[in-house]
Amino acid sequence: MIEKWSLRFRVFLFFALISLMVPVLLGSALWFAAGRIGPESVPHLVLWGGAAGFALIGLVLWVWLKFDENVVAPINTLTSDLQTLTYTSTEHDVETEQGRYLGLLAPAAREMAIALESARKEVKREIEEATRELELQRNRLETMLRDLNEGVLVCNMNHKILLYNRRALNILHYTGEIGLNRSVSNLLSTPSIAHSLEYLTGQLETQPSEQELSAHVVCSTSDGRHIIEGQLSLILDSDERSATGYVVTFDDATEKLAELAKRDRILRDAVEGLRAPVANLCAATEMLIENENMDDDGRKRFENVLSEESHRLSKRLQELSQDYREIVTGHWPMSDVYSATLLNCVVRRFKPEDAIQCLINGDPVWMHCDSLSIVELMERIIRRIAGETSTTAFELEPRPKKDKVYIDISWAGDLVRSGTIDTWLDESFDECLKDMTGRDILENHKAVVWSEAQADGMACLRLPLPLAKEDHRSPMFEHNGSGVRPEFYDFDLLKNIGNKQLGECDLRELTYVVFDTETTGLEPSDGDEIIQVAGVRIVNGRILSGEYFDQLVNPGRTIPVTSTEIHHITEEMVGDQPPITDVLPRFHDYVGDAVLVAHNAAFDMKFLSLKEAMCGVTFDNPVLDTVLLSAYIHDHSKQHTLDVLAERFGVEIEAQYRHTALGDSIATAEIFLRMIDLMQAKGIRTFADAAAVSEKMVEIRRQQARY
Amino acid sequence: MSKKILIVDDEPNIVFSVEFLMRRSGYEVVTAADGEQAMQKLSDEMPDLMILDVMMPRKNGFEVCAEVRADQRMADLPILMLSAKGRDAEVKKGLSLGADAYITKPFSTHELVEKVNELLNTISEGE
Repeated sequence: MIEKWSLRFRVFLFFALISLMVPVLLGSALWFAAGRIGPESVPHLVLWGGAAGFALIGLVLWVWLKFDENVVAPINTLTSDLQTLTYTSTEHDVETEQGRYLGLLAPAAREMAIALESARKEVKREIEEATRELELQRNRLETMLRDLNEGVLVCNMNHKILLYNRRALNILHYTGEIGLNRSVSNLLSTPSIAHSLEYLTGQLETQPSEQELSAHVVCSTSDGRHIIEGQLSLILDSDERSATGYVVTFDDATEKLAELAKRDRILRDAVEGLRAPVANLCAATEMLIENENMDDDGRKRFENVLSEESHRLSKRLQELSQDYREIVTGHWPMSDVYSATLLNCVVRRFKPEDAIQCLINGDPVWMHCDSLSIVELMERIIRRIAGETSTTAFELEPRPKKDKVYIDISWAGDLVRSGTIDTWLDESFDECLKDMTGRDILENHKAVVWSEAQADGMACLRLPLPLAKEDHRSPMFEHNGSGVRPEFYDFDLLKNIGNKQLGECDLRELTYVVFDTETTGLEPSDGDEIIQVAGVRIVNGRILSGEYFDQLVNPGRTIPVTSTEIHHITEEMVGDQPPITDVLPRFHDYVGDAVLVAHNAAFDMKFLSLKEAMCGVTFDNPVLDTVLLSAYIHDHSKQHTLDVLAERFGVEIEAQYRHTALGDSIATAEIFLRMIDLMQAKGIRTFADAAAVSEKMVEIRRQQARY
Repeated sequence: MSKKILIVDDEPNIVFSVEFLMRRSGYEVVTAADGEQAMQKLSDEMPDLMILDVMMPRKNGFEVCAEVRADQRMADLPILMLSAKGRDAEVKKGLSLGADAYITKPFSTHELVEKVNELLNTISEGE
């Protein structure tokens, strides 16, 4: 029991006891003296004894006050400092000024802190060294994975995502929020995945494990807009008896399937759509031939049938060949190619002895073609033009126009006749292109070439090619200006928490969204609105720098200058931003079932909850507040602002992010992670513990507010 | 008395040729341009055989076929399907829904006449 009382209280009790003993001892001594001296001494004894008693009690009180101020308080500060030092790895200084009456304790603590610091540095250095090699290999793997042209998702058996790569992000980002420890069911329709898993785990139980455990999957994205096709394989436990997760490698098959369906339809139409008119023609013809003595009227009608049906047939053929031309490119494997890369290949084809020089002009673009055959074709055409017109200098330039990019080969000299170009196109290439002709290559790209005259005596040959459908400038990772690689995987999620109740979960294994809002003012019920929402996810004790949420909001009202001074968001900045009714549902998706964390959460939650009905979402997630947790951890300190906490925990907010919703969210997240460690030391391990101390802090603050 | 044949097809040009062909072969002919009309003509005219197209507006050939077979009065009516749907699966579907013969377009007029004769003769022999 006594150990549980605070040091301060125990010391107070000790002094209280002494001051209680003063009147007792003094009283009994004087009473004894009065007995010996006689009753006439009583008034004197009471007067002087009383004075001495009060003086003594006063003295004790004074000593206690001094003791409390100079010994007990510094010990408390020192304890808190040492705890912070032990559980955070910052260069936190031990305060010695306050503890100058503690003798050598404070300097000793300081020395220990320095020793700890250097020991930590040593360990850190060694770990860094050992990790570097590992890091290198990991980087290579990561790069490979990231640039893989197939989407990769790794999930545990609870369908939570452990890993994804850039391609997966590109394919699935249209559909929903993708991120570590999010459920794959946000992205893909799960029945077909569940079926493949069921099938494979069944196979695992019945068959020897040498067999490859993978299955072909085709499933739609959860919004049904895309179809993905790929391979699902199990990740086996070390005993190779049970599965701990699965890998899906996939590609967007929507277009491919649509293309196939179209081709099917055209083929079917070609066969079946032609049957009827041909049947009509045949029947009518046979009737005419076999009935020579038919009357004129009958003959005329059959002739009408013949003419009508042959027209129908030729019209049908026309339509078919049109459709055919549209799909024919699908056969030839093509990829998105950067024009600069392709044209450089062309340039390098010409050796010095060829005496042909090519120069590349214009801005490079992404196009969709088969690189090898186009390079071969361009090389041949340039050589032929050189032969025909005795030109040696050529300029190559990609010119994008609508959905095409015109590759223009220009030279100073005469035009080439179109008949001549045709003969070049009829020549076939050797075995590297399987005897294809230039015409075949053009046909594969739905392209034609022609030569036209240009200004100032230049001639030019134009080759239109399809533009790439995707923009390859990768806008996905714009947050990573700082050079931090986004986290794409976390294999610790393999051993998932399972079905534990939230309250029992270790604080370190929960998924959090730490968020912050910027607003037009402090009174949401008085018309103040949200103008920026940002959030960062924490999964398994790691801030996922690749999965930030950061969105300006059009508040539909003016922004007071006084608030702009704080967050630097102006009305121009939010003019073309989406309204809260768009942003909040997206943020709701982003949050999912994570625990919400904010600095002074009550404020932000108030703004969110006032918008819930309007936006059709409810934020009923559990909430933690870093202000309350800080009040619990550093009860001796009265300051709990974000800046003070950042300094206390050695968290640096990057200059570009400071006082923005995202910057504050990141800082809060880092502070929160350090707080979790500190709380562990104080026995606060589970979510229920953290919620309980928060409750307590709210209660204390409420009482303080009352006085 | 000559036998009566119902020709059902939504394309007048083929109806015209087949009608001519059947009349020349000595049959009486009635025609219908879609499935519903065909059902009407079946009960009005009581034909001895039906030449039936598959793809038609309102009611397709498969439906007509199934309905005829379900009707007591016409259960024995010979049905010859004449269709542009030429896949094996569709031929099988037609035959199992109750067609007695399935000819895919384009067809030879001789074959069609032979098939019609054959179907009608089998019936008369049976009588």
